[in-house]
Amino acid sequence: MNAVLWSWRLAVRALLAPLAAVLLVVAIEGGALPAYQAYSVALAATYTVLVLSVGLLAGWAGIWSVGHPALFAIGAYTVAFGSSHGWALEPTVLVAMVLAGGCGAFLGFAGARFSVLYIALLTLAFSLVALEVINRWVDVTGGDQGAAVGELPSLFGGTLAGGGADAVVAAILTAGVVVGIAVLARSTSLRMRMVAAKSHPVVARSVGVAPEAQSALAFGVSGAATGLAGVLLGLITGFVSPETFSLTLGINSVAAAVLGGVGAVAGGVFGGVFLAFAPTLAGLLGIDQLILQGALLILTLLLLPTGVVPSLGALLRTLVRRIRPPSEAVPEPPPATADPPAVGSHTAELEVRDLGVAFGGLQALDGVSLTVRPGEVVAIIGPNGAGKTTLVNALCGLLSGGRTTGSATFAGADLFRVRATRRRRLGIGRTFQHAEVFGELTVAENLLCTSRWVTADRRRAVEALLAQVGLAGLGDRHPDQLPFGPQKRLDLARARAENARLLIMDEPFGGLDSAERGLLAAQIGRVRAAGTSVVIIDHVLEDLFAVADRVVAFDFGRPIGEGTPDQVMADEQVRRSYLGVTTAERLRPLVRAGAEPVLSLTGVTHRYGGVTALDGIDLVVRGGAVLAVVGANGAGKSTLGQILHGSLTPTAGERTVPEPVRSSLVPEGRALFRSLSVRENLEVAGYAAGVKGRELRSRIDDAAEWLPERVRTRLGLPAAALSGGEQQLLAVARALIADPRLVVVDEPALGLAPALVDEVYGRIAGLAEDGVTVVVLEQLLTRALTVAHEVVVLHEGVIGATGSPEDPSFAVRAERAYFGASSTEHPVRP
Amino acid sequence: MDHLFLVVVSGIASGAVYGLLGLGLVIIYRATDVVNFALASMATLAVYVALTVVNRGLGVWAGLLAAVLVAVVVGLIVREVLLRPLGTGRLFAALVMTMGVSLVVEATVADVWGTEPRAFPPLVEGRVTIGSAALATQDLVVIGVSAVAMLAVGWLFTRTTLGSAMRAAAESATTAQIIGVPAQKVARIAWALGLGLAALASVLYVPKVGLAPMVLSAPLFRAFAGIFLGGLTSMHGAVIGGVTIGVLENLAASYVSANFRDTFVFVLTVLILLLRPQGLFGTRSFERV
Repeated sequence: MNAVLWSWRLAVRALLAPLAAVLLVVAIEGGALPAYQAYSVALAATYTVLVLSVGLLAGWAGIWSVGHPALFAIGAYTVAFGSSHGWALEPTVLVAMVLAGGCGAFLGFAGARFSVLYIALLTLAFSLVALEVINRWVDVTGGDQGAAVGELPSLFGGTLAGGGADAVVAAILTAGVVVGIAVLARSTSLRMRMVAAKSHPVVARSVGVAPEAQSALAFGVSGAATGLAGVLLGLITGFVSPETFSLTLGINSVAAAVLGGVGAVAGGVFGGVFLAFAPTLAGLLGIDQLILQGALLILTLLLLPTGVVPSLGALLRTLVRRIRPPSEAVPEPPPATADPPAVGSHTAELEVRDLGVAFGGLQALDGVSLTVRPGEVVAIIGPNGAGKTTLVNALCGLLSGGRTTGSATFAGADLFRVRATRRRRLGIGRTFQHAEVFGELTVAENLLCTSRWVTADRRRAVEALLAQVGLAGLGDRHPDQLPFGPQKRLDLARARAENARLLIMDEPFGGLDSAERGLLAAQIGRVRAAGTSVVIIDHVLEDLFAVADRVVAFDFGRPIGEGTPDQVMADEQVRRSYLGVTTAERLRPLVRAGAEPVLSLTGVTHRYGGVTALDGIDLVVRGGAVLAVVGANGAGKSTLGQILHGSLTPTAGERTVPEPVRSSLVPEGRALFRSLSVRENLEVAGYAAGVKGRELRSRIDDAAEWLPERVRTRLGLPAAALSGGEQQLLAVARALIADPRLVVVDEPALGLAPALVDEVYGRIAGLAEDGVTVVVLEQLLTRALTVAHEVVVLHEGVIGATGSPEDPSFAVRAERAYFGASSTEHPVRP
Repeated sequence: MDHLFLVVVSGIASGAVYGLLGLGLVIIYRATDVVNFALASMATLAVYVALTVVNRGLGVWAGLLAAVLVAVVVGLIVREVLLRPLGTGRLFAALVMTMGVSLVVEATVADVWGTEPRAFPPLVEGRVTIGSAALATQDLVVIGVSAVAMLAVGWLFTRTTLGSAMRAAAESATTAQIIGVPAQKVARIAWALGLGLAALASVLYVPKVGLAPMVLSAPLFRAFAGIFLGGLTSMHGAVIGGVTIGVLENLAASYVSANFRDTFVFVLTVLILLLRPQGLFGTRSFERV
C-alpha cells in the first residue's frame, strides 16, 4: 500500500474514537441522554480505558495481569487525596499516572525475570497487598469509610468537581483520546517489538529487541493508562471506596478483555462497555451478575477463543472474500539486478581466536580459530554434535549457560563484551533453521520491528527489501499464510534489514524444495556482492558448493579441515567424520533365511506444516533382522522411525502389518526420565504397558540383566547419574519392558565414545538373535554397514539406495546416495 | 517464650493447610499445565455439601468424606468439560478459564447457601495446655492429619508404579507419550488427587474461621505465595513453602503488625523471588529457540 494513503487511513481511524466521544458529549449536553445514563456512559468510558490496558498488555506483550485494580485504585485515591489537599487537576493526573505507571514498570521488570506464568501470580500478590494497604492506611484512603473527591482547580482556569456533570464529559472525552492513541500505537514499532518479544524472546534478541525492557515498558504504559482510568473513576463517582478494587474486579477486567478480544483496540472498547453494563444486563436476564460474567468468559474461551471482536472481524473478512475473491498472489522471483556495490562501511572482518565453549563437563567447542573476510561466504559443515550451532549461538550471543573462553572480534568490537541485542547494531544478522518469523505480525511488520521508529522512509525501505527477496505485495499478509520457502526468505530479509555486514545463517537450505533453494542461493550471491560476509552452517552439502567460497569442516568441537568445497570433500578425515570409520569386526548376527515381512510402508509421505520430511517411502521390514536407516541429519530418519513405530501417522501413504506387532521406540538422545531412578524408569514403561505386580518385577529383573554390571547392582541411582553409554543401554532396556517384537532405535551412538558405541551396537545386534526385529536409525554409513542385514539410505526424505552390506558394490552406491545425487557431479574420490 | 511457641504451632497449623492446597495446585499443574485458580472455590462448594451431611447428624468424618467426594467429582467434570477442550500448552487460557469457573462457583454457592458465615464443627473439640500455653486440640489434629496426607502423597509418588509414571509424565510429557504412558488417565488422577487434598485442607481450615463463600480465597493466595517460594513444579517445595508462609504470617501478625500480615508475607516472598526467580526448590527452565 502507498505510504501516504496508508498514513491518511490511519489518521482517520485514530480520529474515530475522539469523534464518537464528542458526539456522545453533544448528545448529553443537548439533553438527549438523561443524567443517570450519562453517568453510565462515563463509567463505560472509564472501564474502556481499564479493559484496554489489560487487554492490550495481554495481547501485545503477553502479560496477563489480575493486578490492574490496584493500579486503578492508585489513580482513584490520588485524585481523592489531591482534591482534599488543594492540588490542581493536571499535576494530580500526572502524579496518578506516574505512580501507577511506576508500579506497573516495576512489576513488568520484576516479572520478566520469571516465567510468564509467574507474572500473573505476581500481579495477584500485588493486588492483595494493595487491598490490605487500602483498608489499613486510613489517613490517606479513609479505610473502609472511603474518601470523597472534591473540587480540583485546573491550571488553565475553572474547576472540575468530583461527581459533577463536567466530570462525566471529561471522562468520555479522555477515553476517546486514549482509544485514539491506542489505535495509533497499533502501528508503532513499540507494539511490533512487544509482540516480537512475546512470541520469540530469543529470536527477538537477535533483531535487537530486549524482552525485559519491552516487558517493563509495556506494563509501565499500561499502568499509567490504568492510573488515568482511576482518576476518571474518582472524578465521575465523586467518592472512592475500597470494595471497588477487589480481586473480583481484576478477574472481571481480564474476563471483559478476553470477551472483547485481547490485543484488539475495538475489543477493549467492547469489553469496557460490557463491564459497565453487566449489572444492567444481568438484571434484565434475571441472573446473578458474577454468574453471567463467569459463564460468558467460559463460553468465550470455548467457542470464540480470540474474542468477540476479532471473531466478527474474521467473519466479515471471509464474507468479503467470498463476494470479492482476491487475486491469488504468487511470490514472484526477485529481479536479477545486483545490489549496490560494496560501500565503505562494509569492510568489517570477523575474527575468532581460540574460542572454547563448555557446558558443564562437556566441551562443545575447543580451540576454534576462524576469520571471515568482507564479502566472503564461509560454510561450516560437520555431523550432528560437531559444535556448529554452539558456534553460531556464541557469535550471536544466544548461548544459554556455558562457559566461553577465547575471543571474537567484529568491526573492531570484542563480541563477548557486547550484549546480544546490541550485536545487531554492529551489523550482525542471523537467520534460523525453522525461519522463526513472528507469526502474529504481518510480513512487513516482521521487518519494521527491527528499528525503534517506523517512519515513511523506513516503510519504503522495507517495501524495497521485500521486493528484493521476492515478497513484493505480500506485506499485509501473515507469515503463516505463506509456504515455508517464502517464510525463509522473510527470515533472511529480517536478518538483512538495516544492511547487515555479517549474516549468520543456520541451515538455510533445510526443508526447501529445489526451486526455493535456487532462489535462496541467488539471494546469498546478492548479499555477498554487496560486500556482506556470510557464515552458513548446514548439512545439505550439495547446496553449499554453489554458494560457498570456503568450507570449514568441524568435528568434536574443532575444525578438522578447510578449503574450497571440493578440497574439503576430498579430505579423508572429513569424509570419515560423516561416514564413520570402518571397523573390521562384523557385528551383525547371521542372516535368517526366508524371514517374513512384519511391517511395510507404501507411498508414505509426511509433512510438518509446509515442510516435506518424507516423500514417497516404500519399505519392507523383515522379521528378526536388523534394518539400518542411514542419512545425514535432517534426512528424515526420526520421522521415518516414528512412523515405523506407529506413534506418528503419516500425511499420506499406508503402514501395513500382516499381524499386530508390539513395537517400542528408543528416542534420539535417550530421553530418559532424568529425575527418576533406573528402576523407576523401567517401572514407568511397565505401567505404560499395563504390566503389574510379579510379572513387572520379573520383567524388570530380565531387563536389568541387560544392563552393565555397575547399573544392574545400583537400580536406585537416578538416571541422570549414569554415563552416556549406560543411559543408552537403559533406554533400550526400558523399551524392552513392553516385550516388543519390533524395536526402533534412533541414533544410539550419538554422543558416545567409540568403545561404548561398539558395546551398544553389539547388544542391539544381540536382540535380533533373540528374534526381535530391530530398526536402527544411524548417521554413519560404515557403522550401519557393519551392523545391519539391510541398509536403506535416506536423502532429504527420499530413499536413495537400498541394499545388503553383503553386496560388494553397495557401499559405493550407498555413499553416493548419502551425499545426494548431485554430488556425483563432483567426483571427489576414485 | 510460651507465646512464641503458641504462635509457631498455630502458624504451622495454618501453614499445613496452605501446604495441602499448594500441594494440590502443584500436582495439577505438573500433570496438566493448569494453574487451578478454581481449586478453592470448588473445595468451598464441597464443604457446604459436607455441612449438610454433618447437619444430618452423620458426623464430621462422614462430612470430610463427602467433601472429598464432591470436590473430586466436580473437579473431574470441570476438567473434562471445560479445560480439556482447550487443548495442551495454553497456560493462560487455562488459567483464565479456572478464574471464570471460580466466579461462577462462588456466586452459585452464595446464591444457594447465602453469604452469612456458618459454623463448621472441628474434627476434635477442646484444648490442650502445654506449660502456661493453651492450644486448640484442633490445631494439633490439623498438623497431624495434614502430615499423614502429605506422607501418603509422598509414598504414592515415590514408592508406587503409578507415582513413577506421574513423575515421569511431569518431567517430560513427550517422552511419556512415546513410552506409552496413558496421559489422560494420569491427568485425571492428578486432578482427583489435587481436589481431594484441597477438600481435606478446607475441612481442616473452616472450623477456625467459619464457612462463607469466599472463605478459602485467603488460604489459596497464601498457598500461591508458598508455591512461589517453593517453586511451581516442586511438591515438597509447595509443602515447605506453605508451612513457611503460615509461620511467617503468624509471626508477622503477632510481632510486626496484625494489620499488614499479608503485605509483610508477600513483600518478603517477592524479595526472595527477585534473588532466586525459580523459587527455593524449583528448577530453572530455559526458553528454547
